Amino acid sequence: MSSSLSTYAPKKLQRRFENKEKEWIRSDNRGFLQCRPAFLKTGSGNAASGSAFAEFGSTKVIVSIFGPRESKKAMMYSDIGRLNCSVSLTTFATPVRSKAMMGFEQNEKDLSSMLYKALEGVIKLDTFPKTTVDVFALVLQSGGSDLSVIISCASLALADAGIQMYDLLTSVSVARVGNNLIIDPTNEEENEQDGNLTIAYMPSRNEVSQVTLTGEWSTGKINQAMEISVAACFKLGDVLRNILRESE
Amino acid sequence: MRDIDIVTDMMTSSEGESEGFAVEMEEEASRHIFPIHFYEKHLLESIRPDGRHLSHARHTTVAFGPVSTADGSALVKIGDTTMLAVIKLEVMTPFADTPDEGTIAVEFIMPPICSPLVRPGRPIEVATVISKQLSDAIKSSGMLNYKELSLVSEKAAWMAYLDIYCLNADGSLFDAADPTAEEEFIMDTVITLVLNSSGQLVSMYKPGGSVVAHISTFQDCFVLAKHRAKELMGIMNDAMQLMEED
Repeated sequence: MSSSLSTYAPKKLQRRFENKEKEWIRSDNRGFLQCRPAFLKTGSGNAASGSAFAEFGSTKVIVSIFGPRESKKAMMYSDIGRLNCSVSLTTFATPVRSKAMMGFEQNEKDLSSMLYKALEGVIKLDTFPKTTVDVFALVLQSGGSDLSVIISCASLALADAGIQMYDLLTSVSVARVGNNLIIDPTNEEENEQDGNLTIAYMPSRNEVSQVTLTGEWSTGKINQAMEISVAACFKLGDVLRNILRESE
Repeated sequence: MRDIDIVTDMMTSSEGESEGFAVEMEEEASRHIFPIHFYEKHLLESIRPDGRHLSHARHTTVAFGPVSTADGSALVKIGDTTMLAVIKLEVMTPFADTPDEGTIAVEFIMPPICSPLVRPGRPIEVATVISKQLSDAIKSSGMLNYKELSLVSEKAAWMAYLDIYCLNADGSLFDAADPTAEEEFIMDTVITLVLNSSGQLVSMYKPGGSVVAHISTFQDCFVLAKHRAKELMGIMNDAMQLMEED
């Protein structure tokens, strides 16, 4: 054994984004405007009215739809239907066992409310008065851009369940790292990002149901990021439609 | 009552062949409205609605390593019942009374996606019951050598978290006695047996219920369980071999 090794320490992690302005390659060799390879499937569970599985790179999500079914007894009478969204993460979704992690429950609550807000304007709530549609998502593995994967997967599952919507909802996330815009960021990239834009968009109606912008942005960059994500949403919409057509 | 009889008669005669949408609808309706009647009709013929013989289990598949963020994982499907078991290892300080042993924590989780009966918030009773049962079966069976989980005596040992997620609940969550969810709903009682690889009984569980089973019934159950255990061992060994080849 060499005596120079006095302490035990893993190799110093190479910082990919040390100089963000310089040319760099994404860890999975993707282009800046290239989404991760995606796999989507409808009907993975039979007890639910509809369900879908989505896999974008290492992000894996299952969404099940229940209902329209009787609302909880405590609920007040409602002329229009209710939407109930709940996102949960598995304990193995993150590298550290997540139940021990700080803010784990808060993260679940945030994702649930974001999902609800994205979907509420898209579903025709007046088509199921007095009843509730439950949208339950389970994140099997969190690998970045989780919210957009959950939203796209949920809209696919809703379509599978036959819940009427104004249009399929697609969602894409764009991160700003230095001067560069990268689409569909992974966890590693999200940790290094200077800003993030997540959009939920209805391609056929050309309408936006949700935009979340964090970090520091210039107006020009926002416009550019919007254009990129809308273009990606269009493509994702076609993908979702093809999957629904094939599953018939 | 006469009308119902006609409906169910049609149903049994059309088993296996569809006679149009109307018949199918009535079959479905009678199945939901008179489940006991529906199953009695099938039991007379010694066949179950999904075409299985009474003692036959559903098709079972096992896949290893579906979760890359875990230290070990397996996906098991029995019919439509789907379970994902995941092991995560953490280092802990061993307990004072067992300084050179690690430990395992078993949790069974039913997320709301798996069944219409589960709502977000508080876990449902059955999940807690199965969690305890599983934990007891694993800990009392002696299948794990806790000494192997020790790293440094009195200082460090592995804490293994075994989390089992139910992705789709269609009956027989605990293992493989193997009725479907629908059958379970009308059953009087369940008897669950756990066996180890050499066919020895490790745990037996009968959760009360209205029917007090005869000793001979238990003996029958044991024979069935033994047969099923052999079948499962075969499936698991095949899956292990496949994994090693990869």
